[in-house]
Amino acid sequence: MAKAIDHKTAPDVKLVAASQAGNMQAFEELVARHRDKIYARAFSMMRNEEEAIDLSQEAWVKAWQRLKQFQGDSSFATWMTRIVINLCLDQLRRQKRTRAESIEQLDEELGGVERQMPIIATNPSQGLERSELRKRIDKAMNQLSYEHRTVLILHEFEEMEYKQIAKVMNCSIGTVMSRLFYARRRLASLLQSLKKEQQS
Amino acid sequence: MSTELKLQARLDGELDAREAREIDALVEQNAQQAALMQELSWTKAAIAAGDVEVALPETREFYWSKIARAIEAEERKAATAAPAERSGWLKFFYPATGLAAMAAVMFVISGSRSNDGVDTESVPEDMNAVSFRSEAEKMSVVYVADEYGSFSPVGQEVKNEPEADK
Repeated sequence: MAKAIDHKTAPDVKLVAASQAGNMQAFEELVARHRDKIYARAFSMMRNEEEAIDLSQEAWVKAWQRLKQFQGDSSFATWMTRIVINLCLDQLRRQKRTRAESIEQLDEELGGVERQMPIIATNPSQGLERSELRKRIDKAMNQLSYEHRTVLILHEFEEMEYKQIAKVMNCSIGTVMSRLFYARRRLASLLQSLKKEQQS
Repeated sequence: MSTELKLQARLDGELDAREAREIDALVEQNAQQAALMQELSWTKAAIAAGDVEVALPETREFYWSKIARAIEAEERKAATAAPAERSGWLKFFYPATGLAAMAAVMFVISGSRSNDGVDTESVPEDMNAVSFRSEAEKMSVVYVADEYGSFSPVGQEVKNEPEADK
């Protein structure tokens, strides 16, 4: 007979194994442990609370259904994050992009916009408190198209390589590189503008 | 790949050793490229400190209850879909079964029609079909079961009144 586990103290690996055997209490504990992270990732991509809640829930349901496929090659949190990222990308692709984003995409498609941006000569984040910097980054990220925001999130926060991002986003490595370049240059420019706004 | 994208790839550790050395040399010699490299580095460092930190705006119990309900609903759906999938190959036999049932029922009707004026029902053995005949309406209806055991009419025969009755 399987030995009962203390859900509160058991490591993720044990909770995953118990969940794979059909133990829903173990799965509930996994949800409780990682729900904020999964929701935060969905929110960072969708920029909408309601959609982020729905998609994060959907990710947990999918995870339960696919638990047997989890082999432990990565941590459970990483595996879960990949599921929610894929769901967010599917949703974003389905949605019609807003006019502002279309303009931004058009800028990118016209080519070389980021090359014409003046190089920022002083560090726009220098001297900022971490909380203030976070607020500004968040505001600037909000102004990027979902493709540019997503490529930054996957590269900087999920530490994915170019080829992994290309696979997840279903595009070429070259597209990943140019999107990342544009996103960084635009972010630098936005941070500079925010700094000037603050100073004036 | 353009020089700008190579600068970025250098920053992200995506270049091999030879290409990395070439870019380092370029940055040393070219002030413009050096400035761009610096800007990219600042931005990268700033973003690293800026991941969203938000907590789920729902209680543990409420959030879990919705997930648990959704899992149960999905499992119920899967459970009802499974038998249908297993017996999917049987679907190919339903049209033939229906036709056979109709033919058999017609045979039964024509061979043993009741003449006493009451409605009759005939259920041929070993056949997933039911027939109904109304003498009053001069009509026969054949019902054949689908894969779920639900009966639906597949054909009907309306008999004209005998010449003598007109």
